Amino acid sequence: MTQPIKVDIWSDVQCPWCYIGKRKFEAGAAEFGGEVEVEYHSFELAPDTPVDFEGTTADYLSARKGMPLAQVEQMMERVTAIAKTVGLDYDFDRVHQTNTVISHELLHFAKSKGRQLEMKERLLMAYFVNGEHVGRIADLVEIAASLGFDRDEVTEALISHRFLPDVKADVALAQEYGINGVPFFVIDGKYGVSGAQEADTFANVLAQVAAEREAAPDSEHERSDKEAAR
Amino acid sequence: MTNDSIGSIKLVALTPLGDATAEACDGDFCAVPVHHTQAVVNKKLDQDLV
Repeated sequence: MTQPIKVDIWSDVQCPWCYIGKRKFEAGAAEFGGEVEVEYHSFELAPDTPVDFEGTTADYLSARKGMPLAQVEQMMERVTAIAKTVGLDYDFDRVHQTNTVISHELLHFAKSKGRQLEMKERLLMAYFVNGEHVGRIADLVEIAASLGFDRDEVTEALISHRFLPDVKADVALAQEYGINGVPFFVIDGKYGVSGAQEADTFANVLAQVAAEREAAPDSEHERSDKEAAR
Repeated sequence: MTNDSIGSIKLVALTPLGDATAEACDGDFCAVPVHHTQAVVNKKLDQDLV
């Protein structure tokens, strides 16, 4: 028995390349064909963004970066076109620019229930496709309820901020690794892959890790397998 | 990058793999390389040919 290849992914809910990269990684993992275990980690791209930003994403980026609105809109059109190539219908006209820290708390809540992956997908879709607000507790409770989570339990978790230390720990871990941008993939705890790579690239990296494991039969993973079998 | 341990993850210096120019969001800025416009056009042309 071989342990699955662990992939730790740092990502933010409002990162367009993270959702595109998620699709490409999923395609690469399918192409690889072996067992892969994914765990998402929190990364805040703009922690000082207000929860209720008045204006569009284009307004936000234009003001923040001092770029002409037309240039920002052109950039967003390009991202939208690229998202379409992986089957995602980004709708920046409906996006609510917000602070994502509480959505990360919700991701950790879902992780505590063993359902982090479906929550990650739901939140990215909420933000980029559905135009749902992912910064306010009431909206996040509705998003969680749409996946069948208990409203009262989610509300308590988000109001108490009991998962905030987990979010901050992920951010600190990213700093320890030297991660500056997302998405960022740490594969098997050894390899760092930055950005929305092509599916083939992910498949090749996973195949390389699998081959290295086979070439080193007495590796840490094999020893763990043997210990688990005892 | 350090050799240390935080929580359940053992930190080691990571070996970079993949295309170093792949798109990513750095800070609150998400770069959109111009060459992708052409990449999307090429993909559409390929699809049309099929």
